[in-house]
Amino acid sequence: MTRTSQRGVSRRATHLLATLALAAGVATPSLAQDASGELVILNWQGGAEGDMWEVLEDAFVEQHPEISIRELEVTVQGDARGPMRTALLSGEVVDLIINTWPAFRRELAESGIIQPIDDLWQEYQWDEQLSQSWRDLGAVDDETYGLTYTYGYRSGIWYETDHMEQAGIDAPPATWEEFLDSFDALRGAGFEAPVAMPAKYWAHAEWFESLLLRTAGVEFAAQLAVHEVPWTDPQVKETLMTYAQMLEAGCCGSASQMFANDWDGEADQIFQADNKNYLLIGMWMNGRAKSEYGLEEGVDYSLFEFPDLGKGHDDTASVDAKELVLTTNGNNPEAAELFLDFMLSETAADILHENGYASPSNEADTSLLGPAQQIATEAVSGSQVQFVLGDLLPGDFVDEYRVQLQRFLQDPTEDTVDSVLQALEEQAQSSY
Amino acid sequence: MARPAAHSTAAEVNSQAMAGLGGGRRISLAPRGPRLKDVPAAWILITPVIVLFSIAVLYPLVETIRLSFFDIEGLRPAEYVGAGNYVELFFDAGFRNTIVTTLVFTLATTAISVSLGWFLAMLCAFAPGRTLPFRVMIFAAFGVSEAVSGYMWVSIFRPDEGGLLNTIVGVVSPGFSHAWLGDPGTALWAIIIAASWSAVGLPLMLCFASVQAIPKTVLEAAYMDGAKPLSIMRHIMVPLSLPGVRVAIFINLLGALRAFDIIYVLTGGGPVRSTETIGYFMYRESMTQFKLGYGAAATVVLLIAVLIISIPAIIQRTAGAK
Repeated sequence: MTRTSQRGVSRRATHLLATLALAAGVATPSLAQDASGELVILNWQGGAEGDMWEVLEDAFVEQHPEISIRELEVTVQGDARGPMRTALLSGEVVDLIINTWPAFRRELAESGIIQPIDDLWQEYQWDEQLSQSWRDLGAVDDETYGLTYTYGYRSGIWYETDHMEQAGIDAPPATWEEFLDSFDALRGAGFEAPVAMPAKYWAHAEWFESLLLRTAGVEFAAQLAVHEVPWTDPQVKETLMTYAQMLEAGCCGSASQMFANDWDGEADQIFQADNKNYLLIGMWMNGRAKSEYGLEEGVDYSLFEFPDLGKGHDDTASVDAKELVLTTNGNNPEAAELFLDFMLSETAADILHENGYASPSNEADTSLLGPAQQIATEAVSGSQVQFVLGDLLPGDFVDEYRVQLQRFLQDPTEDTVDSVLQALEEQAQSSY
Repeated sequence: MARPAAHSTAAEVNSQAMAGLGGGRRISLAPRGPRLKDVPAAWILITPVIVLFSIAVLYPLVETIRLSFFDIEGLRPAEYVGAGNYVELFFDAGFRNTIVTTLVFTLATTAISVSLGWFLAMLCAFAPGRTLPFRVMIFAAFGVSEAVSGYMWVSIFRPDEGGLLNTIVGVVSPGFSHAWLGDPGTALWAIIIAASWSAVGLPLMLCFASVQAIPKTVLEAAYMDGAKPLSIMRHIMVPLSLPGVRVAIFINLLGALRAFDIIYVLTGGGPVRSTETIGYFMYRESMTQFKLGYGAAATVVLLIAVLIISIPAIIQRTAGAK
C-alpha cells in the first residue's frame, strides 16, 4: 500500500469515525424516540396517588404507543423501603424506581442499583425545566441520580372551613399563641380535641419536625439529621417543650386516642366525622380530600402555614419530594429516558396539578393549581426549606425516633423530655 | 399387662399385649417388609418429596441460620460477625420486652381459645346433629385469614363511639369511648381476644372429635348406672377428650408463638411497642429496618422456642408408632 493510498484510507477512516461519532451523538435521543417494548416501574403508592400514576402512564403511552408500562407494585403499611429492597434483592428487574427518601437514594447508588443521570440531564436539557436546586436535591456526592417530579409542603395545617366558621375564627391562626388560643374557640363549638394527632406509626413526628425548624432553623435540623449535633442539644429540648405546650393546652385528647389512628383515620375524624379540626400532614391530603371525601379545594377545606413561633426562624418549612431514579440493569433504558423526560413535560405537570400535586417543572401551568396548592407553593418558594427529617435519618434510627416521640406524647413533662432525648442520643451513637 | 386405653385400636391393644408377654421387649407380629434401599421404586416415589422439602424447608432454614451470622444492613454488602447478632439480641432491651409480650400473648391466646373450644365441644357433644351449623360457623372463623379478621376487629375496637365495642359499652355507660388499640394497657388484650376468636374453631373440632370417639357402650353403661349428664361430662367425657385437648394446646401454642398478621393489622406492634411479639420483632428488624442478619438471629431464637415445644409433643404423639 502506497503512502498516498494509506493516507486516503486513513482519511476515509477518520471521516467514517467522525460520521459515526456524530451519528451516535445525534442518534441517542432519536434511538430513544424509537424505543418500544415494556417499561417497568417499581411503584409503592396506592390510593389517590396510585390512581394518578395510572393517568400519567396512560398519557405517556398515548404519546408513545409502541411502549407499554408495567408497574411492579409493592404494598405496605408504613415505610415502603422494606418491600422495595425485598423486590430488588429477589431479582426483580425494573427500569425506574419511584423514591422519596434521600437516604434510600444513597443506599441504592452505593449498591450499584441506580445510575447517575448527569449525561441525560445534559442531553435532554432538563436544566431548562428544573432549577439547579431541584438537581441538587437528587444528588449523591455531586452526581445526580434523582429526577424530582413532585414536591410537597410538609408544614401546612389542613382544616375544614365550616369548622372555623362554627368556632367564629375568621382567619387561620398566624402565630403560635393564636393557634393555642383557637383551641378554646373550637372546643366551645363542640370539638373536644381540635388537633388530629395520628401517632399510630409516624405522623406525630411531623409536628416535631416543623417545630424544630421554627425553633432552631434549617441548618440545625440538617446537622441533627446527620448527627453533627446531639439529640440532647438544648434546642431540641426547647422544641419538645414547645410541643408540650400544645398537648398541655388539650390539643389532642388522651395518648391512647392519639395512638389509635394513622393519618388517614385522623383525616376521617376531621372531614367525615366532624370531630376534629387541624391536621399537619403532607400534600397527599389534598388528593384524599378530593377523591375520598368529594370536597372542593379552597371552599370546603384549605390549609394554612405553620404558625410563627417568633424565634427568628419563621421563614422555614419542611418539604418532601418524589423522584424517579434510573436503574443500572433495566431492560428498557431508552423507554425509561423518555419517561423521565415526559415527567417534566407540560402534560405530566398538568396531570399532577389536576390531582393536587405540585410539579417543579418550569413547563407547569401554575394557574391550574388549586387554592390550597397555591398557598403551599407560595409557602415553599418564600421559605428556607429542609427535607423532612424522618426521611433523612438512618433506617435503624428512625423507628426508635418515632417510638421515643410516642413516649413523649404519653407524658409530655420535662423529665420525660430529658429521658426521651437521652434515649435518642444513645441510639444515635450506635446508628451513625 | 398394660391395660388398653378405652379408645385404643385393636392393633394397639395387640401390640401392647405382646409387649407384656415379651417381658417389656416389643415384639412385632407384622411380617418384616423389604427395606427402602431394596426397592428402587420407593426412591422414585419419595424423591419428589425430598426435593420439595429441601427447597421449601431445608434451604430456607440453612440460609436463615447462615444469615444470622452476618451483619446485613439495607442493600449494603454483608459482613461476617459470628455470634455478634445473638450477643446483641441478648442485650437488646426491646427484644427482651418482646419475649415477655410473646409469652403473655401465647399463653393467654392458647388458654382462652382451647378452654373455650373445649367447653363448646362438651356442649355440642350432647346434641351433635343439632349443633352442626353452630360448629361450622365457629370453625369458619378459623379459616378466615388473620389479616381479614384483623380489619373486622379494627372496626370493633374503633376508638370513637362508632366502634362496636364502644357502642355496646355505651349502652350501659352513655358517651363511653375508649381507644382499645391505642392504650398500651388494653391493646395487647384486645389482640389476644381477636386472636382467640380466630383460633377457637380448631380446639372445638379436635375436642369434639375426641368426645365423639368415646365408645357409646361406655356412655350407655354410665346412663344405665344412673349417672347424671354433669357426672358423665366430668368423669367420662372430660378425661377421654384430653388427647384432643393436648393436640389443640400444641397447635395453638405454635400458632400463637409465630403470630404476626393480626398484630400487623391491628396495632403494628404499638403503641410504644407494647404489642410487639417475637414474630413482629423479626418483621420490623428484617423488613422495616432491613437488618436481615439481626432479624435472622431473632428467627433462629423463635425456631428454638418452637422446637422446645414441638419435640416433646411430637415424641409423645409418635411414641409406639411403627
